[in-house]
Amino acid sequence: MILTKQNLMPLLRNLTGAERDVFVPTQVDGVSKFALMDKGTVPDFEQVNTTMPPKDLLFPQTQKMYHFDVDANGSYRIHEYDESREQLVFGIRPCDMRSIVCLDEVFLTKGFVDEFYANAREKLTCVCIGCASAAETCFCASMDVDPQLAPNADVMLQDCGDVYNVIAQTPKGEVEVAAWAPFVEEGVVEPVTCEQSLAVSMEGVVDKLEGMYDHPIWDNLSIKCLNCGTCTYLCPTCHCFDISQDMRRKDGVRFRCWDSCMFSEYTMMAGGHNPRPEKLERVRNRFMHKLNFFERRYGMSLCVGCGRCVEKCPVALDITRLIDDVAAIG
Amino acid sequence: MTAQDTIRARARELLENGEVTTFIGWESGRFENQTTPLVITDASDADKLVCNEYCVNTLAKYARDVVTRGKVGMVVRGCDSRGIVRLINDQVINREDVYLIGVGCAGVRDRKTGELLKKCAECRHGDPVICDEMAGDAAGRPQPSERFKEVHEVELMTQPERSRYFEGVYAKCIRCYACRDVCPCCTCRECFVDQRRENWVGKQNNVAENRFYSLTRVMHIADRCIECGECERACPMGLPLMKLNRKVIKDLNDLFGEFESSMTLDEEPGKLITYDLVDCEEFM
Amino acid sequence: MSVVEANKTAQVGVPDSWEPKVIAFCCHWCTYTGADLAGLNRMNYPANVRVLRIPCSGRMNPQYVIEALNKGCDGVLVCGCHPGDCHYVTGNYYARRRMMIFKRLLEYEGLEPERFQVRWISGAEAGKFRDTVMSVVEQVRALGPLNLTREIPQFELPAVPDGQEAFNAVPEEVMPEEVSA
Repeated sequence: MILTKQNLMPLLRNLTGAERDVFVPTQVDGVSKFALMDKGTVPDFEQVNTTMPPKDLLFPQTQKMYHFDVDANGSYRIHEYDESREQLVFGIRPCDMRSIVCLDEVFLTKGFVDEFYANAREKLTCVCIGCASAAETCFCASMDVDPQLAPNADVMLQDCGDVYNVIAQTPKGEVEVAAWAPFVEEGVVEPVTCEQSLAVSMEGVVDKLEGMYDHPIWDNLSIKCLNCGTCTYLCPTCHCFDISQDMRRKDGVRFRCWDSCMFSEYTMMAGGHNPRPEKLERVRNRFMHKLNFFERRYGMSLCVGCGRCVEKCPVALDITRLIDDVAAIG
Repeated sequence: MTAQDTIRARARELLENGEVTTFIGWESGRFENQTTPLVITDASDADKLVCNEYCVNTLAKYARDVVTRGKVGMVVRGCDSRGIVRLINDQVINREDVYLIGVGCAGVRDRKTGELLKKCAECRHGDPVICDEMAGDAAGRPQPSERFKEVHEVELMTQPERSRYFEGVYAKCIRCYACRDVCPCCTCRECFVDQRRENWVGKQNNVAENRFYSLTRVMHIADRCIECGECERACPMGLPLMKLNRKVIKDLNDLFGEFESSMTLDEEPGKLITYDLVDCEEFM
Repeated sequence: MSVVEANKTAQVGVPDSWEPKVIAFCCHWCTYTGADLAGLNRMNYPANVRVLRIPCSGRMNPQYVIEALNKGCDGVLVCGCHPGDCHYVTGNYYARRRMMIFKRLLEYEGLEPERFQVRWISGAEAGKFRDTVMSVVEQVRALGPLNLTREIPQFELPAVPDGQEAFNAVPEEVMPEEVSA
């Protein structure tokens, strides 16, 4: 089936309803992110990547877990939150779709199921739009992502110039596409090939990193890192969080919020010992996790090649250069 | 000989002679016109150094981190040199710890648009305020006339407008702390946000906590801010942080006399760590 | 609920029972003694003010002000000795500069000037303390609730189903009255 680009906005207006939230890539106050679609929203499907990744739809920066207080009899009372709603995200990119696969691995597999994530994930429908063109910093093809394919998306829209190929890929997606009937036509068109100017070779990098824990490359790399959290907060796959609470008298909320391995306080232990006291250890951990640790545990790279950190790092510390440097080591 | 050639030659000499242990400058990045900070310890790497109109990073903060390895050589423009003065006056480093090669700066351009960066358009001192030698000539840029233009603009808003404006700003903040980490004035050994035991600021991201962080940051650097604008440039969300920093500087100027921080090594103590018996009185 | 939304709802319907909450940071040597004298003289002033003793107005950290406003206070009053009378000789001179700058910064960010005030009140000025507190409370009352509070929602919990014990009952006295976050 195909969907013409003229029909995209009518379709979107038709999709928004009270029973679920529709998120589209748009500019909110100068920041491009996935935001709730309402009457005034102007979606931006031309921009390749949003600045803020879509991960906060499943894993919000601050997520309330439960409220607790003490009643008149002096008993603790706990009220759990479940703020998950039916959500449709329209227009995420194949790299972001891969990042959701990575998050699924972390939060749903190996016997550890995060119920907040699981609830939100179950209620999320993903409509992925393939990329016809790439940003300067895009390198997803090098990280094993096809810019026109996202096997895990519910619905895949392949960019074919003036029209999209509509492919329903899951039962949820088939239900979704069935409702689009007035807007889609029969047919299949050849998708546009997306050319990426940035490419790296991951060949052998994972194995090489295995023996590079004490390599001087980390010192050269970390020396210019500021240890801010920009890369981790903009990364679509970074998923570390901290649990904390906000209390007033006998009332309180326990919440979790994003944390960053770039912060010295991240690994600080109760006794005052910090196993990653310096920039070097923290930078090494971040890149090792992206390129090696995750690969070993889950069999896929935690870097999806979206290029957000490459674009926004204040000191232009570039993961693609690290990959090249590691590949070049004899 | 261009400034870049001079810098490369001098960096090589300094490293070969053992006069400095490390040298800080910029190198080319992967993309066209992109540069990234470079710290070298080997004279053979000196040819990687570049110095052009796309060197966006202010280097001063690196001196603090690298100084533990021995004497540091570095390239300084106006902003970098004032950052170094700041670090010296805050007793983070000593003057003898650094060897400064000055270059005149006519402003840095955005690598994509080619336009002058906002921080450079507002810059008042393109040429280094201290250095041990100059590579090339001073640029002698004219100073922009209106230092507090954007502060005035905000001040002209009504109170509810300002309240909404800054609420919007703090709603966008993701608290990555890039503004703190890039700032040459933020040199506390342990920042208050990392003092979890004291729990000054909660970890949740909301307008209240973001405001708490931001206001504290502004008050902490108030009379020391060198107006390099790096916080604003580094901010991934594009928050107008200089509007806050300059507001404080403007008030300090209006109330306690004109000043500009970090211009000389023997500057007067900061406006907020001194007092005057005849300061104006409004709390009677 | 975001702060913007919270403010909107606050403006629409302020409950009649609402009382402004003002915190007064008082210097131990002057204002706190002045407040004590006001009490000894049986002076009446609004109970909306909560007095916190600090060793000197120079100890006043701007963070305390933001934290108080964030934690639910509608106004903040900082009081110290008159300039020249500081027990530590110069503490309030530093405070004066710092508070002047900080007050302007808060107002720049959109806080109403009446919500953050600084006054010099000596140990003998019980009347001035009473008048200041009264005027600050009235000004804040006129402005209404601030609602910058952190997001602890107020809601009714569902009743515990019959025959089910509430989670982990603890005796009342075990819970500390005030727990700072």
